[in-house]
Amino acid sequence: MAAAIMAASPTSNSSASSTSVSLLQRQSSKNADTVSVCSTSSSMCPDRHGFYGGNQFSEKPKKETLTREQIIAREKKWIHMTSHWAEYMNTNYKKVRERCRKGIPGAVRQKAWFLLTGANHLMGKFPEGYRQMLDQPGNPQIIDEIRKDQHRQFPHHEMFIDDDKPGQKELYNVLKAYSVYNPTVGYCQAQAPIAAFLLMQLPSEQAFWCFVAVCDKYLENYFTPGLEMLQRDAGMLNRLLKKTSPAAYRHLQKHNVDPLLYMTDWFLCAMTRTLPWDTLLRVWDCFLCEGVRIFFKVALVIIGATLGPQKVRAQCNGLCETLAVLRSPPKKFLEEDFIMHHIFRLNITIEDFHREHKKQEMLHRKAKLEQQKTQQQQNGGGSSSYGSGRNS
Amino acid sequence: MSAGPYNYSYIFKYIIIGDMGVGKSCLLHQFTEKKFMASCPHTIGVEFGTRIIEVDKQKIKLQIWDTAGQERFRAVTRSYYRGAAGALMVYDITRRSTYNHLSSWLTDTRNLTNPSTVIFLIGNKSDLESTREVTYEEAKNFADEHGLLFAEASAMTGQNVEEAFLETARKIYQSIKDGRLDLNSSETGVQHKPAQPGRTTLSNDAQTNKENCSC
Repeated sequence: MAAAIMAASPTSNSSASSTSVSLLQRQSSKNADTVSVCSTSSSMCPDRHGFYGGNQFSEKPKKETLTREQIIAREKKWIHMTSHWAEYMNTNYKKVRERCRKGIPGAVRQKAWFLLTGANHLMGKFPEGYRQMLDQPGNPQIIDEIRKDQHRQFPHHEMFIDDDKPGQKELYNVLKAYSVYNPTVGYCQAQAPIAAFLLMQLPSEQAFWCFVAVCDKYLENYFTPGLEMLQRDAGMLNRLLKKTSPAAYRHLQKHNVDPLLYMTDWFLCAMTRTLPWDTLLRVWDCFLCEGVRIFFKVALVIIGATLGPQKVRAQCNGLCETLAVLRSPPKKFLEEDFIMHHIFRLNITIEDFHREHKKQEMLHRKAKLEQQKTQQQQNGGGSSSYGSGRNS
Repeated sequence: MSAGPYNYSYIFKYIIIGDMGVGKSCLLHQFTEKKFMASCPHTIGVEFGTRIIEVDKQKIKLQIWDTAGQERFRAVTRSYYRGAAGALMVYDITRRSTYNHLSSWLTDTRNLTNPSTVIFLIGNKSDLESTREVTYEEAKNFADEHGLLFAEASAMTGQNVEEAFLETARKIYQSIKDGRLDLNSSETGVQHKPAQPGRTTLSNDAQTNKENCSC
């Protein structure tokens, strides 16, 4: 079931690991784990993902359910697939999806993500782009905001633990370059953990183009001022929840728990601040192949599992109590095996997504029209009402 | 479980607002955990904290909504002001721009809360005296002019943090005693809770009652 383990030291410097060394790295990462098991809050040596402590620290070594032969076989399949990428994507997307769902082997993940996002095309189109954007001065206010956040991303990770490590500088570069590349979005604070997460997987230039693809394609309009897309998706999540977990849905309605109160961080930070690292990597393998729908599914599984038991719902007898559970769900519901098993067994279809999406779009358009009408009325008194009459 | 969830008489809702990086989450953390979080992750959307305090021998549960400071989150966070009994408006004494934005935060607070909402202005990072950009007097004048409570505090050392949260609660409780706050309205951000529902009222679910009673 479980697959891909990350290489021992996924800093961008060492992330250029080739397939041949991957097994060796796995060995050393396991050794590191046995040492770090004994400490909880802050370890002397990093876990297999580079964390010294904090919420993301993996205390236990990963349970490997695959044999060495299976891992090598999967790696070989992926190497073949990545070297015939266009062919697979054009004629056999289902195969790609199936393999992403099984988990991309750690040794080929970097390459696979680069291809899945289409970052290779972006980088091919603007070969000097990243460097040129870094050379530009950028918007001073945005630069100031990025500077304030650069030391706050995963401070327990070996890349970001202090400012003389390359991580913080690279993070600043990626975020600044993006704000030059897409000035409409500029910089949203939720983007920082995503960029940091990508920098842990890929060298900075590749990470940058992946980041561009994620922000502009996968999570389009999520980060623009006003956060309209997020608000629409909050409504959509609620509707889907009604179908997948009616009891949890009713509970949330009863206590007036607006989805934005718990899903904002999940969706805007692309789950990077929510899931433990092993789960996160597997979820991203699927997200980069199938899109934001995967985050909906993860969210539905978490809410359903957390508020599923009648006993829990009875204990959460208010808004705050409910949010407390939802904001830090029991660990077992966030584990790799649990999430990966359940996200593909929800009773929703792609048609449900399409239907709800259309509904939310319509609601949103309606609300916007209403808003414009009231604004016109406020601004121009009598004359504007003629204007709106003509429009309709 | 035996004490039940209602070992307090009131719930007060607070919101913490102010520019990004002024230390809103750190103030909350210092108040609820009595610890300074050196590398505190920035808030996306809203975070929550609770603590039970005592005012005039009454136990009060503070339900604190800590909002994201970045401008673009205001579209979402504006809906959280509703029904706040207390608003902690924070700026950073070492960054003048965060002080200059106060009037915009104040406008939002006035527009989106009710007239009885107690607003406490906090000048955070008072431990960083050497890089101060806003004087105490200037901020004090601003607070007096707009009828706000005011203190300089430090989430790092803990100085005045407790006081700011408690003083706000005292002011709200005073309004309740004076009858200026309508406890039946959800807009006021104050809820009254029965002291021990299991004992004072007959529960219609005998089963749960039995389970809760561990004596």
